[in-house]
Amino acid sequence: MTRIESWSPGRLARVVSMLFVAAIFLVPIAGFVAMAFRSNDGVENGSGGFLGLGDIAWSNVRYSWSQVNGFGPEGGLFTRWLTNSLVVAAGGAILAVVAALPAGYAMARLRFRARRAVLLITLVTMVMPNTVLVIPLFLEVNAVGAVGELWPVALIMGFFPFGVYLSYIHYLTTMPKELVEAARLDGLGEVSVFWWIGLRISKQVVVLVAFFAFVANWTNFFLPLALLSSNQKNQTVSIGLQQLIGASPLFNPTVAAGLDVKLYMPQLALATFISMLPLLAVFLGAQRFLIRGETVGAVKG
Amino acid sequence: MTTATVDKRSTSVPVPKPQRSRAKASRSSETRGAWILLSPYVVLLLIGGIVPVGYAIKTALEKPPTPLDPSTGFGGVASFKTVFTDYRFVDTFQNVLATLVIWLPIMMVGIVGLALLIHASPGRFGSAMRFVYYIPGALAGIANFVLWVYLLNPGQSPIEGFWHAIGVDTIKQAVAAPGQLPFILTAMMFFQGVGSWIVVVNGGLNGISEDVLEAAALDGANAWQLAWHVKLPIIRPWIGYAALMNLAYGFQLFLEPQLLDQVASNALPDQWTPTQLGYAFAFSNYNFPAAAAMSLILLVITLGIGLLIVFRSGLFGKEDN
Repeated sequence: MTRIESWSPGRLARVVSMLFVAAIFLVPIAGFVAMAFRSNDGVENGSGGFLGLGDIAWSNVRYSWSQVNGFGPEGGLFTRWLTNSLVVAAGGAILAVVAALPAGYAMARLRFRARRAVLLITLVTMVMPNTVLVIPLFLEVNAVGAVGELWPVALIMGFFPFGVYLSYIHYLTTMPKELVEAARLDGLGEVSVFWWIGLRISKQVVVLVAFFAFVANWTNFFLPLALLSSNQKNQTVSIGLQQLIGASPLFNPTVAAGLDVKLYMPQLALATFISMLPLLAVFLGAQRFLIRGETVGAVKG
Repeated sequence: MTTATVDKRSTSVPVPKPQRSRAKASRSSETRGAWILLSPYVVLLLIGGIVPVGYAIKTALEKPPTPLDPSTGFGGVASFKTVFTDYRFVDTFQNVLATLVIWLPIMMVGIVGLALLIHASPGRFGSAMRFVYYIPGALAGIANFVLWVYLLNPGQSPIEGFWHAIGVDTIKQAVAAPGQLPFILTAMMFFQGVGSWIVVVNGGLNGISEDVLEAAALDGANAWQLAWHVKLPIIRPWIGYAALMNLAYGFQLFLEPQLLDQVASNALPDQWTPTQLGYAFAFSNYNFPAAAAMSLILLVITLGIGLLIVFRSGLFGKEDN
């Protein structure tokens, strides 16, 4: 295992270039996270040394949070946006799981005429960027008069073909045909086979589908932008962050002058940092399953 | 439990029955069961996919109401004509192509190069680097954008020195200099996207059998020749898959140019990409037929790429053993 190699020029070049790329990726992120803990004055004076690390303090966070969450006519909009994101992202993920498991099972283990057609539609919609459908979706939701409401967003997010593909692969690999045949001969109907046997071995795929759906929903920008922009209270945190940027004196002095709160870079960084925490939480929760499901998950990238 | 069901089967199979009608009956019950199990997904597919496309086709064939003539009704292909003859239409596609020309090669070289470097580094160092490269991918969408605002704004950027060296003092100058945008978008999308694709291509590399690599090493191949002549040809399908997926991704560009315009005091063209143009038709002009027509054009392009991916990558049809 541990082969003793000499530091040949090739090996040295490989390690150095990999570390160099790693630094390019990590330094901006470290500086950005540090920014969330810095003060406006410190940023302006350029104090704090390397990446401003000397400037970080908990009191800065408390001040920045008061500014971020003070945004809006009565304040508290940011918390509201986080709650909305949680509702649509979790609601969409639950719908995705409920729909994906039986559908994936049916496509993997049942034979019916339209099977290949449904599979093809699923694969094609899975690899297409989902933004191309947003304006048609807006027209649809507009036609039923539900623009600005949260439930259509969650419902649309429930359509998650990648989840169907994941559960299709899951049943293809974990549930042998013979098991299905045996259960049938035991007198179980097709739905009962799924319900009593298929669901028993589904923990792994439930976590995977829920995780990928939640992350995709949480970071979705274009769909909530089109469907929720008209109602400030019902926005999600991804488009809320855009509003905070638009209200920053750094980029829009005229708008910012009319606000009680001052949103400079530390406040924007803090808001972004907080908006990422739920993703961190679901990642840590799902980590165990993600590693086992790595080969399946890698298909989507 | 499994043994019990197997026992049961062995006792119940010999019961003689007309083979054909039984197969037929099980076929129809299988079909019925399949559609019951598929029904939640089919409902969501209709709401989230089929109905909106159908409705967009219908809307695109209507004529938009104007202040003078508020009536709507069948308008034929007039809305497509509106889109095609819009002065921004060709520009938006040129912009996407200009970005793809720069971004796609850099992205592919980055993905394949870094995946090969990781594969050449067994043990803890390789997997640690793979994890590090993956981290920026977690900052998806708007979070990546705010991070880039932090990098691009010379006022507090950690690469302030770089900006001053090239004579840039404000974020507006950094973003809105002529011809600069494709490079900035390249940097943003590379940073965000390369890590997850490295994991995918690395998965392909890990699938290469040890024997193949050992045989090549015995033949005297060095690390470079191994990567170029052995590993690269084997992972070609993964590279093609990544290239096509990223190509399709280029046509949906919206968030980055839209928000860069916002932080650069509107110094950029307001409709720089096709998706932005469609958005403007819907939300600035309230011309829903034109917005629908624009999305259908993008839909056809990405559908074509999507079908190419599905049929060329072996995603489809490999399950029928």
